[in-house]
Formats: sequence, C-alpha cells, structure tokens
Amino acid sequence: MNPVISAKNVWKLFGPDPESYLKSMTAGHSFDDIRADGYIAGVKDVSLDVSKGEMLVIMGLSGSGKSTLVRCFSRLHDITGGKIEVDGQDIMGLKEVELIELRRSKMGMVFQSFGLLPHRTVLQNVAFPLEMRGQDKHSTRDRAMEVVKLVGLEGREDYFPRELSGGQQQRVGIARSLAIEPDIWFLDEPFSALDPLIRREMQDEFLRLQAMLGKTIVFITHDFDEALRLADRIAIMKDGAVEQIDTPDKIVLNPATDYVAKFTEEVDKARVVHASVLVEDGSMGKGEPVAADATILSLARRLINDAADVIPVQMPDGNVKGMPRQAALDILLGEAK
Amino acid sequence: MTIVSDANLAVPEGGTPAMAVRRKVLIGLFGFAALLTVLRPWLPEALIRLPEAMLLPWSDWLDVGFAWVQNDLGLIHVTREIASWLGFLIDAAANVLYGKSRWPNFEAMPWSVVAGCLAVLGYWLGGWKLALLAGGTMVWTALMGQWKWAMETMSVIVVAAPVGFAVGLLIGILAWRSARFEKAMRPVLLVLQTLPFYSYLLPAVIFFKVGPTAASVATIAYSMPPMILMTIVGLKKVPPEVVEAGKMAGCSRWQMLRSVYIPSARTEILVGLNQVIMLALAMVVLTAFIGMPGLGAKLLAMMNSFKLGRSFEIGVTIVLLAVTLDRLSKAWVVKQPEHFEKGTPWWQRHILLLIGVATFVVFMVLAQVIPILNEIGRRQSLSMGSEIDVAIKGFLNLSWVKETTGFIRWFFNLWILIPTERALLYVPTAAVIAVVTGFCYALGGRRPALIGVLFFSIVAGFGWWDRAMITLHSTLTAVILAMVFGMPLAVWAARRETWSARMIFVCDTAQTFPSFIYLLPAIMLFGITPFTVILSILIYTMVPVIRYTIEGLRGVPPELTEAADMSGATRWQKLWNVQLPLAMPTIAVGLNQALIFAFFMVIIAAFIGTRDLGQEMQRTLAGTQLGKNFTLGFSVVFMALTFDIAINAWAEKRRRILGLA
Amino acid sequence: MKKLTTMVLTAALATPFAAIAEDSSDPITIPIHNWSSQIVMSNVVGQMFEEMGNNVEFVTTDSQAVYESVRLGDVALELEVWEGAFGASFREALSKGGLHDAGDHDAVTREDWWYPAWTKESCPGLPSWEALNACAEVFATAETGSNGMYLDGPVDWLKHGQERVAALDMNFTVVNAGSAAALWAHIGAAEAEKKPIVVFNWTPNFAEAVWPGEFVEFPAWEDGCDTDPTKGPNKEALFDCGNPSTGYLKKAAWDGMEDKWPAAYCVLTKLSFTNPQIAEMAKLVDTDELEPEEAAEEWLAANRAVVEPWMSACAS
Repeated sequence: MNPVISAKNVWKLFGPDPESYLKSMTAGHSFDDIRADGYIAGVKDVSLDVSKGEMLVIMGLSGSGKSTLVRCFSRLHDITGGKIEVDGQDIMGLKEVELIELRRSKMGMVFQSFGLLPHRTVLQNVAFPLEMRGQDKHSTRDRAMEVVKLVGLEGREDYFPRELSGGQQQRVGIARSLAIEPDIWFLDEPFSALDPLIRREMQDEFLRLQAMLGKTIVFITHDFDEALRLADRIAIMKDGAVEQIDTPDKIVLNPATDYVAKFTEEVDKARVVHASVLVEDGSMGKGEPVAADATILSLARRLINDAADVIPVQMPDGNVKGMPRQAALDILLGEAK
Repeated sequence: MTIVSDANLAVPEGGTPAMAVRRKVLIGLFGFAALLTVLRPWLPEALIRLPEAMLLPWSDWLDVGFAWVQNDLGLIHVTREIASWLGFLIDAAANVLYGKSRWPNFEAMPWSVVAGCLAVLGYWLGGWKLALLAGGTMVWTALMGQWKWAMETMSVIVVAAPVGFAVGLLIGILAWRSARFEKAMRPVLLVLQTLPFYSYLLPAVIFFKVGPTAASVATIAYSMPPMILMTIVGLKKVPPEVVEAGKMAGCSRWQMLRSVYIPSARTEILVGLNQVIMLALAMVVLTAFIGMPGLGAKLLAMMNSFKLGRSFEIGVTIVLLAVTLDRLSKAWVVKQPEHFEKGTPWWQRHILLLIGVATFVVFMVLAQVIPILNEIGRRQSLSMGSEIDVAIKGFLNLSWVKETTGFIRWFFNLWILIPTERALLYVPTAAVIAVVTGFCYALGGRRPALIGVLFFSIVAGFGWWDRAMITLHSTLTAVILAMVFGMPLAVWAARRETWSARMIFVCDTAQTFPSFIYLLPAIMLFGITPFTVILSILIYTMVPVIRYTIEGLRGVPPELTEAADMSGATRWQKLWNVQLPLAMPTIAVGLNQALIFAFFMVIIAAFIGTRDLGQEMQRTLAGTQLGKNFTLGFSVVFMALTFDIAINAWAEKRRRILGLA
Repeated sequence: MKKLTTMVLTAALATPFAAIAEDSSDPITIPIHNWSSQIVMSNVVGQMFEEMGNNVEFVTTDSQAVYESVRLGDVALELEVWEGAFGASFREALSKGGLHDAGDHDAVTREDWWYPAWTKESCPGLPSWEALNACAEVFATAETGSNGMYLDGPVDWLKHGQERVAALDMNFTVVNAGSAAALWAHIGAAEAEKKPIVVFNWTPNFAEAVWPGEFVEFPAWEDGCDTDPTKGPNKEALFDCGNPSTGYLKKAAWDGMEDKWPAAYCVLTKLSFTNPQIAEMAKLVDTDELEPEEAAEEWLAANRAVVEPWMSACAS
C-alpha cells in the first residue's frame, strides 16, 4: 500500500537565499556549520513515510524542527529541497487553487494555542472551513453541530472563545479540524498549553476519537510520555533531523543514539514494551499464550510465577510464538549489573 | 537596572575607536558653529546668509509645475469628479441631518430624535454614563441654539471620517502586503501631517471646489495617516496560528483577508477609526477657511466680531462633540459580541434596537406636537453669550490677573523669548546647519546627520531663512516649555493608576480643544507677542509630552521597579536610574509628536500675528501664489522631517539597547 | 447627481441664445466670509434671488482664496471686494480670467491707521500724524522699547504699514496682527484701562459702533503714491501718503453667471448698497444678536423700497 505522506530528503532552510545555499552546500554540513553561514536548518534531510490509518508522533524539544516539519507536510511552509508527496501528489507542484482544494478536502490541523477566531462563536468557528469551501448554509450548520456534539461541547455552540476554558477551546480547535472530515489530521502540540490533569483527559478523549475515526495522524509533542502513550510510531527530532523513527517498544529497547537514550532512561520500560516485541523464533513455550499487545508490566505475575524459560504469545497473525522469560524479566526488574 | 548600564560598562577607558570618531565629529561640528558665530562681525555677508543670487527660483518652477498638472495634465477633471461624488454624499448627509434641500429630500430631523437615539446608542455601547454624555451633548447643543451649525459640521464629518477610514484601511492593507510600498509611503504620510494647513488651502480649493468638498478632502488627508499605521500594526499582530488555521481551512487570499485578518485586527483598526474621528474634529476650525460649514465657521465669525462669550460656547460644543464621539468609538473598540442563552426570544435579543426605534418614533411624533422638541430658535436658546462676555472681560480686568499675566508677559518676552529669538537670527546660516547636523549625528548617527545637512540646506536654499528660524524658535520653545511643565506633571501622575487615567483623560479632551477658543483672551492678556504664539501651540505640545511620559513610565516592567525597591533605592534614585532611562524611548516619541504638532500649528501663530513662515504664507493667499506658498510650506516640512528622523533613529537605537524592541 | 464640471463647460460655451433663456435651476452659490456685514449682505442678496425663483446656496470660504473659486465658477459671485484688502487678489484673478467686475457699491471704504476715542486724552494733537509721531512714547509697550507700537492688519491685506513708517521716518514699530480677531482683542484689552493705542481699522465696520474713534490723518493720498516715489512729501519713497479715503467696494461675478442666471446677474449688476445700509446690516447681527438669515429678512422688510427697483428692472 502506498504511504499517505511520503517525505524524501526534505530540507527547510531559513535565511537570505536558502535555495542557492542548499545547492552549493557540501554534504555533511552540520546544523552548527549551517548556522555559522547565517542559515537556520528548520528541517534537515528528513525522509519518512506515514501510512494510512497510522499515528505518527513527532517528538522533540523546542527548536528541534518538529513544528516546521509538519508545516512542510501541509505546505504552510514551502520546502527548500527534497520532495513531499501526499496521496502520491507532489505538493510543491500544486497550484494555489489545487493546494486550497487539497486543504479544503483532505487536511485538518489543530494548533497549540488553538488559533480560534475571536470574533466567531464556537459554532461559527467550527463551521469556518465549511463556509470557506462554499458549502450551503443548512448542511454547514448541521455538520458543524454534529462535530460540536462529537467533542462534547453541545449547549455551548453560541459561546465566544474567550468565554471558554483552555480545554474547551481546544475541543473547538479539534472540532474545527474535523469538520471537513479530513483524511489527514495534523496536531501541533494540541495539549501542551493545558494543565496536566486536563491534558490527560484530553488524551483519553483523543484516543476515543481516533478509535472511532481511524484517521491518518501526524501528532507533535515535546512530551515523551505523551508520545509513548499515543503513538504507533515515534520520530524523534533534534536540530532539524530525525534521530530515530520506530515503534515505541523498539525506541525504548534500542535507542539509536545517546540523545534518544537520554529520553528513554527515565521511562518505565515495562509499561511500554509489549509481549509481541520480545518473541523469538524457535521454542513456542507451554501453557496459555498471552496476548501480543499485553505490556510486560501486565504480565508481571505470570513472569514471576511461571518457571518456564519461554512464554507463549498469541501473535495477531494467528501463530503462537515464544517469548524468552529472562528477557521479559530484565525489562520488568531492570537489567542486573 | 543592569541592562541600562550595560552599554556604559562595556566601554573601556577613553572609549572605543567608534566613540572617538564620534566625539571628533561632534567637536568639529559644534566648534565650527561656535567659531562662525564668534567671527560673525567680520564675516562677509555671503557667509552669514545665502546670497540672493544663489537662491534658485523654486517658486516659479513650482508655479509652472502646478499649471501643468492643473491644465495640461487635466488632473483637475479627475479631482473634480471625486469632489462631485463627495459632494453628493455630503449633501445627502446634510439632508438627513438638517434638511438641506437635496436628495433624498427628507424633512430636517428634529434634534430630540437625534439626542434620544444617540443616548440609546450610548447606553448600548457603554451604559448609563455614555448615554448621559451622548444625550447630554446633544441637548446642550440644541439648548445653546447651535443645533444647525453642529449638524452642518457633522454632515461633513460623517462622510469624511468613513472615507478616511476606508481609504486608510485600503492603503494600510497594501502597505502591509508590500514592504516596498510601505517604505515609499511613510515619508508621504509625514509630509501630509507636517505640511502647514495654509498649504492645503489653495490646492484644496482649486482641485476640489471650495466648500464642504474641499473641507472634507483636507480632513481626510490629515486624519488618514494614523488609520494607515494602525491597520499595518493590527494586521502584523494577528497571531500566526490564527493565520495558519485560516490557511488550513482552505481560505483563498480574499477569504483570508476578509474573514481572518481584518476581524482579528479589529481592535487596532477601530483604534484607527477613533483617531480618524478625533483628528477630523480637531480640524473643524481650520477647515472653515476652505468652506467647512457649521461650528468652525461660526467660531471664526464670532471671533472676528469680538464675541468672546459665544465663541466660547461654540468651543465647548466642539469639545463635547469630540469627547462624545471619542467615548462612543472607544466603547465600540472594547465592546465584545455577547451571546444569548438558547431560546431567548427575538425581541429580547434586540431589546436595545427596539428601544432605539421606539425612541425614534416617539420623539418624531412628539416633535410634531411640541415645536421646541423639533427646533430651538435663536431667541429661545439659553445662550448666555453676552453674560459670558462680561464675565471674561471682568476676569481679565481683575488687578491680580493683570499683574500676574503682566509679569509673565514681561519675563518671558523680554528675558527669554525675544533674546533667544534674536540670538538665533544672529547666528550665521552655516552655523545653524552645523549645529542641527551635530544634533542629528549625536542622536541618530550618520544617516540622520546627512539628512539634516541636506534638508536644512534645502530650507536655506528656499530663501526664507529668517522666517524659518522664527518658526523653528517658536516650535522649539513650545516643546521645551511643554517638557518643563508637562514632564513633572506626568511623572507625578504616573505614580498612581487612577491619576494616570485621569491625566490621560484630560489630555484626550485637551487635544480636541481648539486653541482658537482661548486665543482672544490670550491676546488680550499677553498682546501680539511671541509669548502668545507659544501659548497657543503649547496645548498641542503639552498633550503628547504628558501622555507619552505617562505611558513610558507606566510601561516599565514591574520586576525592574521592584528590583530597584529591593536594592533600597529611594524614590528619586528609582526614577532617575530605572524608570526614566527605560521610559526615554517612549518619551522621545512623545517629544517628536509634540514637535510635529507644533510645526503644523504655525497657522495658529499666523492667526495671532508673527514674522514667521506662516505670516508669509498668509501673504501668498492674496494673489494665489501657489509656488511660493509651497516653498514656504516645504520649509516647514523639511525642518519637521529632520527632527522626526533624528529622534526616531535615537528612540529605535535606544529600544534595541534596552531590549524593549 | 449631474457632473458639475460638464455643466460648467456647457454653460461657459453656451450660445448667445442662452442670454434670453430663463435662469438655470442649479443653485447659485454665494460665498460668505467671517465678518458680519458680508454675511448679512450675502443673505439679503440670496433672499432676493430666491424671491425671483432661483435656488441659492451659501458656502463659507477664506476671503482671499475666494477669487480663485469665482474664477473657476465654484461660486457665482462675490459681494464685497474691498479695494484695500482684496484689491490685489481681485486684480490677480482678473488677469487670469474667469471673473469680471460687476460694478461698484455706493459705499466707499476707508482703511487706515485708527485710534479709539480715549486715546485722544493722552495725545491731544490727534488726528494729525505728526502729532501722533510726537507722542509715540505713550504707545510704547515692553516689547517695542521707546518706539510706539502700531498694530497693522494681517499681512495678506497688503497694508504697507512698515513702508509708511520708514518713508515718513516715524518712531513706530509695526506689528502685524494675524487676523481681524487679533485686532479686536487688542482694542478690547486696551479698553478697560483706556490705554492709548493705534491700530489698523476700516469702515464700514461693526467696531465703529462698539468703540468710537477716528482715523489718523496722513498726507492725503495722491494717485501713484504706491508706484512713484516723487508723489507725496518724501520724494524718495513710496507709500508716504495715507490710504485713499474713498476706496471702492466692488462686486465681482463669474464670467459664466450672465449666461446661466441672466436675471440674477442683472440684479447683481444693478444692486448697490450705501455705507449706512451696510452698517445697519452688520448691526443687526453684531449688536442685536440676530442670526444672519433673520437679519437679512428684517433688513429686506425694512428696505423693500431700496431693492424693489433692482428686481423689477430685471424681471423678464
């Protein structure tokens, strides 16, 4: 299956004349080298694919280029080099009208500080993208009400953004991004501006929505826990480049660089790693197989009580495979050194 | 505190090489000026003033240019076409407001209807206080027998202000979209704002037809610049995420502008509108020279027949109108849309609209039955013109008033103004240019200095040097006096939130106060002397000085003043070492505004009588010497621009150093 | 709305047949300035035009810039062209074309150095100019030192006070007031203490009623005093005479007026007011505090016999 978003060697440089600079630049220039030349590398040679229905979380600290990258996907930024395809279309080759059409029909985006229009009510904000594409008043209103209900804001549709709490405002932002039923959903640190408690609640809400809608999602966060909680795959960025892109389990188990390792150090791996990741070919083990998506933590009792060397795991493809008990115990208890 | 002294601390003993150069340049310039002045008695005449033979015939060239633009280029047909449209709108407004016999041919609206509806509008925007202000102003106007004049004035303003708003918005959007356009436009705006009104007079009359149309064009030209600037500021301030949200919603460019940018910049745009209205009202008296009907014209007529009392009453009306419109438009700026609970019936949502309509109908009917609610004639009015006349004259004749003002007149004229003016006239042209250049260099560096040399040399080349120096003298003195009296007042007021608010309210009101009102008493007390001239422009220089000083001081971050308090600074130490240095860039902007206002107001000086550029411009009106008029006008403009550029460069640099930009 | 420019053009190019046509229904625009007699006179004439079935409109203008507007046809006429104050603007506009002289009023005007009655107590030799010069010191102010101060009219009235002081070698410093209002304020300030002053003034004028006074008698005006040095007592200087004591007061008309409003134009050329009539008009506003329109009605009612012949002479 073709990926929904495909980025190949994408560059985004900021500076006086980025295009000719990029052409003349020798390979292997580091972020700091580029800065010394008076340019900032927002995105540095990034290649990745996002497949249909997948949730890719891009994780990085501020200034790592994660927001820039997602703005390249939606062409809010024009890229300096490389190629980005959305549904097989090279988006840099689109004319303005085509780009507008693409956004009107396929893309939705949620912003960190909500980006709500202050002079419009909740309902009018949600209806905004529909209005922009010239949908008739009646169906616009119905659809907007539908999404408002979906995010649990029924009864507040006539409020103005300033009358709502942060969490409620972000619900409006989410509703607005969903109004046109986009295939691709960009979320730029949607919960960062919220209090920790509300953030947790919103993450649950978000998982609920995603389970229901099954969109292709690019989610940005600087919070590693959030990334682990939500992601199918995580891309960790630093200085504009992707340090590692993989599933949460694999990142936790095999951090590719020291930088990534620093994030994983504090993480309770037993909560993250699933049984399916540890299976090896060979012995299948004995007894009742455990579920593939069970975390090691949830298997703690079995791991300690069951004396067998290999624990059977029921894989999603129907086969049963074996998980070495020792490896799982190492994750649960920490490696003995 | 630390940030402030950083710049000084970093400098090693004796200064950096750049500072050494700077010091040498300054010593050179000021030394040169001093030397020329000392040697003046021995200098040949040609070195003291530019000899006549070297002056270029600017006036003649300009006359030829105007004739070409007017006749050969046919610009006059374009402007006359615009004027006819404006005239149509103004006539229609005049019909609605006071029944001028034009389309749409309504009867004159009874004054009580307007008063009632404005009161309802005031209530909707800002509660009882505003209702009282708006309604009260209208009642006062009617009772004083000035209703028709006020409506004549308003008929022009209700056209000029929206047009100024719309054109300003449009230009602001263009300037925001194109940096190059913005750059090209800024000096044009400055010229519009500093070109003395005497220079607008003839072109406005020739190109736009004497009468309300010319008056409205002059009003629009003068009131538009802040609208343009506020539009640019507002559009630039729209949060990037809102912009991106708009783009992601698939907005086309036009949709972006209409549905995202302009609504998001609503506050700034409305502040711009407020400024347009205020400046339009400030021009009511001046535009009367070119056909603005109503209050301004009446004020001038009353003054010319020496009716202190009635001109005072008209002045009060102008101020009241200005304050009302100011408050109403400001209330509109902060007014946020409100939502109603589901199921609120229609009449309840629009209750005030309904009350407004009801008020309209009720007063319309009442006015048919009770004539006094329809129109208050001159003989029925409560005007107390002659009583006020007597009171004013009596006051001016009190012996202590005479003694005090006599002393002030004697002290300022003989000890300060006349000697300094003579001194300025004594100094050779080249020396003045050198000093101005040095001043610009010290403030802004090389570029402003070069501009200073160029502009002041042009002024010298125009050939009205002595008059230019007298103008310069009165504007500078007015600004210095405003600083001496205004800054302590502002520093005092800035200590408390409530005092600041009150002081700024006074400033707002004073700005709309036509100094023509107190011109006659001022002349009676201080004679036709330099001091009266300065007194008449002092109000325009005080207002920005006070306002910006307060804003600058109140804008100092609280952490810094708290830090100073915790370091055990006394109030004075805090003021000198923390607050004033940080507020200085803002205060400088205020000084600059004061200078620009003062230059523009030379027309008022001319009304009293001086020997400055304004007087000579007045002379050009007899005989319609357009070319000469413009060389005089641009002498003012170039001087004003020199200071504007230098002071702004300084404020900009200072802000950067302080990390405020 | 019809385009005014095209109308102006058609009117200007109209064939001679237009002369016998009826007056146009477009309003006749009459300029008013900021002194009472002119405002009332304009209203009087405006009401006469209206009686004849014309539409009339008034527009407030500057009294110097107005000649440019008459020339362009923006206003149709000007009722008070003072020889002294506006002669220069008027002649300049005449030479550019577009307007013409529509005849004189009976009234004569005089503009010259003037003093309020109380001044005579401090300088009994007045009104002779030599006597004035002899007691120059009583007119001194703090700012003028030992010289007397003479407050001249605004510079745009082109009064040449400075030149006269030089030509006659007087001990006076000339200060120019910026406006008529400034002149009145100066007189008003001197009034309470009866301080001696000498200022520029003119007649007919409301001030005569408020502050009685006299003109200073300078060497009598000779034609050419302003162009030929040999005229007047000082053989080497211009402006060494008093101003003419019988200056004209003219009416001016836009060239297109005759074709566009023939009847109104006819009345304009016929009408002529006298000094007492003008003073009466000013008094109704300045002293009796009437509105200009009311003053005009009142004046017309009282002076029917004066205006009737002009109107009937022009009735077609």
